[in-house]
Amino acid sequence: MDRETLLDLEHLNQLSLTPQEQDEMLAFFAAREADWETLAQIDTENVERMVHVRPMVNVLREDVASQPFSREDLLAQAPESMDGYWQVPQILQ
Amino acid sequence: MTAYETVIGLEVHVELATKSKIFCSCTNGSDAEPNTHVCPACCGMPGMLPVANRQVINLGMTAGMMLNCHINRTTTFDKKSYYYPDLPASYQTTQWFAPIAVNGYVTIQTEDGPKDIRVKQIHMEEDAGKLVHDNWSYTSLVDFNRTSVPLIEIVSQPDLRSADEVVAYLERLRSLLRFAKVSGARMEKGTMRADVNLSVRPAGSTELGVRTEMKNMASIAAIRRAIEYETARHIDAIENGTEELVQETRGWNDDAGKSFAMRNKETAGDYRYFPDPNIMPIVIDDEWYDNIHASLPELPEVKREHYVESVGLSDYDADMLTQSRAFCDCFEGAMAAGAAPKEAANWIITNCAGVLNKRGMTSDELPVPGSALGQLIGLVGDGKVSNANGKRLLETLFDLDAQGESIPEDMAAFAEAEGLLNSSDTGALEAVVAAVIAADPETAQAYRDGREKALNPLFGACMKQLKGKCDTQVLRNLLIEELKK
Repeated sequence: MDRETLLDLEHLNQLSLTPQEQDEMLAFFAAREADWETLAQIDTENVERMVHVRPMVNVLREDVASQPFSREDLLAQAPESMDGYWQVPQILQ
Repeated sequence: MTAYETVIGLEVHVELATKSKIFCSCTNGSDAEPNTHVCPACCGMPGMLPVANRQVINLGMTAGMMLNCHINRTTTFDKKSYYYPDLPASYQTTQWFAPIAVNGYVTIQTEDGPKDIRVKQIHMEEDAGKLVHDNWSYTSLVDFNRTSVPLIEIVSQPDLRSADEVVAYLERLRSLLRFAKVSGARMEKGTMRADVNLSVRPAGSTELGVRTEMKNMASIAAIRRAIEYETARHIDAIENGTEELVQETRGWNDDAGKSFAMRNKETAGDYRYFPDPNIMPIVIDDEWYDNIHASLPELPEVKREHYVESVGLSDYDADMLTQSRAFCDCFEGAMAAGAAPKEAANWIITNCAGVLNKRGMTSDELPVPGSALGQLIGLVGDGKVSNANGKRLLETLFDLDAQGESIPEDMAAFAEAEGLLNSSDTGALEAVVAAVIAADPETAQAYRDGREKALNPLFGACMKQLKGKCDTQVLRNLLIEELKK
């Protein structure tokens, strides 16, 4: 983790770190990288990739349409609505 | 003067033709009142649990096979994080680590012969909702009907070199996906949209230039114009230094004929992809794979050749029919029901297409089964239904479908119930003929005196009385016989 990547992550997560906090973060990530290096020493050859922590697969439903919820019920959850739409603060200038 | 090469890759989003959405049972349909096809799952409410739609996996696999891809037998869904009001869960469920299909190709025809365009991958994902920005200066409105509508995204390698090749690729994709009933793939309806990634480099160079992406292009003509504009802009920047090219996402203003900068291009890391813990992996066994493989349709060009070589259709008829899977199915069904190939082709290309056109429907929306059309053609051919009434019956079949009613299986019974069956009662015909001659003795005499055209008004008067429900040849013969007495 270099400082440039950290600044990028800071921007993405809408954070504002002080220079001291940034140094602490870089030290934290350096320690985690050392952990990964330890993990990387484990022999994983012939070990199948685990795709999910649960053993279940193919939890699917058939393609049948139904409409158990009304618009009114759902819009009742909205802080504001207008003409059947959810209303949100303006997005584009 | 340096020659330049344009390098283009496409990301094509295609809405899947399912009845319900990808992770909930809400209807997958457009043209509904806003927020009427919504539930807590597709509105991203806390505690909701998505359950994947089996048909989406079927269609994803079908698309992969049509595009010559390797199908990943274990395929998983992932979360792609971004925040925007049209995405209520604040992440899009998509496929990043193990997409349904990889490493395929699509063959297009170019001036230099056939060319394979490599397909990097096809992944399944949910669509976002729609935002309405217009008319309100202080607020935006959100419609979640489209949220969680199933999509596949088809990602090509940067193998395309011109607007012509891009158009050929899109038309080929559209044809294959429609034939396999994966999607209606209608750009004008937004069920097929393309992101165009473009860069320019000196011809012969192996390094890629600076890439820009134009998103959500929804018309082939606009894509052609945008590629031509963007290529010229890149070359101008390289040769004359008019601007600094940066990797970015650009929009296309078709009215102005110009692209414009939207935002700096994100990198994959920005989206923080991670496996969706709520959706279990999908494992495709041999039986499932084989069933989908067995359901793949014959390719349009294979059908076309068969129609010309074995069935005996003209090139024109074969071209017209193979533009649409529904046309082909109807044609083959009509032949199976006993219709002559040429007759069946004429009815589809002329009569069915005419009704579709009148009603603003596409050829893929043809609601008439081949067996019904085949019977109808037989009834007209046998003189049991007049040609005009045959067309009327065809329109009635469209009406039934539009009203959500099923198409009758026995067309003779249907024609009778509709009162459009020709009268087979010769006695009734004779009575009408006698009455018409008696009512207009002057015209009858004119015919007897040798003026052949005098037959026409008498014939017309008979048809009027019979309301068109008779075999016209039988009526004509009867009339002539009666006049000669």
